[in-house]
Amino acid sequence: MKDRLLLSVWLVAVVGITFIHDPVWLGGLLLLAFALAGKATPALLKRALIAIALVNIAVSAGFVISASLAGEPWGLFVMRLNLRVLLLTFLTLWLARHLDLVRAVDFSRSLQFVVVLALGQIKTFQRMLTDYRMAFRSRSLGRPDLKTRMRSAGRQAGALLEKAELQATEVNLGMRSRGFFDDRA
Amino acid sequence: MHIPDGLIAPQVYLAAYAAAAPAWAWAVRKVARDFDETLIPRLAVLTALAFVLTTVMIPLPGGTSGHVIGVGLLALAFGIWPAFLAYSLVLVLQSLLFGAGGITVLAVNALAMGLAGAAVTVGVHRLLVGWRKPVAVIVGVWCGVVVSAVLVALVLGIQPLMGSDASGQPLFFPFGPAVTLPVIVIPHLFIGAGEAVLTWMVLSVTERRRVPA
Repeated sequence: MKDRLLLSVWLVAVVGITFIHDPVWLGGLLLLAFALAGKATPALLKRALIAIALVNIAVSAGFVISASLAGEPWGLFVMRLNLRVLLLTFLTLWLARHLDLVRAVDFSRSLQFVVVLALGQIKTFQRMLTDYRMAFRSRSLGRPDLKTRMRSAGRQAGALLEKAELQATEVNLGMRSRGFFDDRA
Repeated sequence: MHIPDGLIAPQVYLAAYAAAAPAWAWAVRKVARDFDETLIPRLAVLTALAFVLTTVMIPLPGGTSGHVIGVGLLALAFGIWPAFLAYSLVLVLQSLLFGAGGITVLAVNALAMGLAGAAVTVGVHRLLVGWRKPVAVIVGVWCGVVVSAVLVALVLGIQPLMGSDASGQPLFFPFGPAVTLPVIVIPHLFIGAGEAVLTWMVLSVTERRRVPA
């Protein structure tokens, strides 16, 4: 219940923020978000800044240059864009830290199963990819050329695809053997 | 390539949600009919597969980032609708678990990359597959990536029309299509080529290694 409420409040907040255009309000809300995050603020802020830096710097710098050349004002836009994007990213990262997604989607049993299974499979696939990459690196004396790297990437993705097909069958059999589909009938 | 939160006007992303909702409903019905009781495990595994395929991100200038989309591979291996559903779930997971991408722009990203990308890939592949299979895969995936990039660029490019404040400064993304189209589409001509070759390699390897039932 708590997670569902958290998710709902966050959704409303995120949509609401996109209707706010005054930098003063956006700045005030950002300070409120910092207060809400408490001790986690520096870590979350650092992650949020890293996440948005490239996009925001590119857009802001591009706008500053084009507006300056045209002799138009740019300050308000740059503040608005950066505060809004930072606020939205900060709130999302804060949510990611507090939300138990599996509990948040407990209104639908099927969706909950999809999320649980997908999260488990993501970990399996990521481990597998890491193993492949490390094995490839350990077998390469120098930096492999583009063709070799491309072939390796192709094999990695191919192995993932094969593993995915096998895992789907395996998980399905596991669910059937545990009576999941009997309960639904 | 996908658009982050805060750059798109509500009238655009809410309209995208209105367009995506029936597409998601149709996709669930279609996938449920095709996969019956295997729907849940297949969808979960496909989602995980799509997620892992999209973990390599290449930042691009002009308000976006590039990465292996993986939708072409999913669409050719499993069909348009499973690819669309799996990719939409990936966007949800990326947003809620890792703060990547954004929830407001999820429908825009899902429609541009998950649906249009998959549909174009499969459509072009069907047109060319009778001629030469590798060409069909490579051209199909490349077209899917490029069309997705064009759609994302157009959505970003219409943002200056969505309003400005009293001093005439834009409320959302400030550049029109004259900037967004070249900045986003040109790099994706190359990213699409890389992804197309990779997809062909993957499909040819899995085909060779597949054990007949």
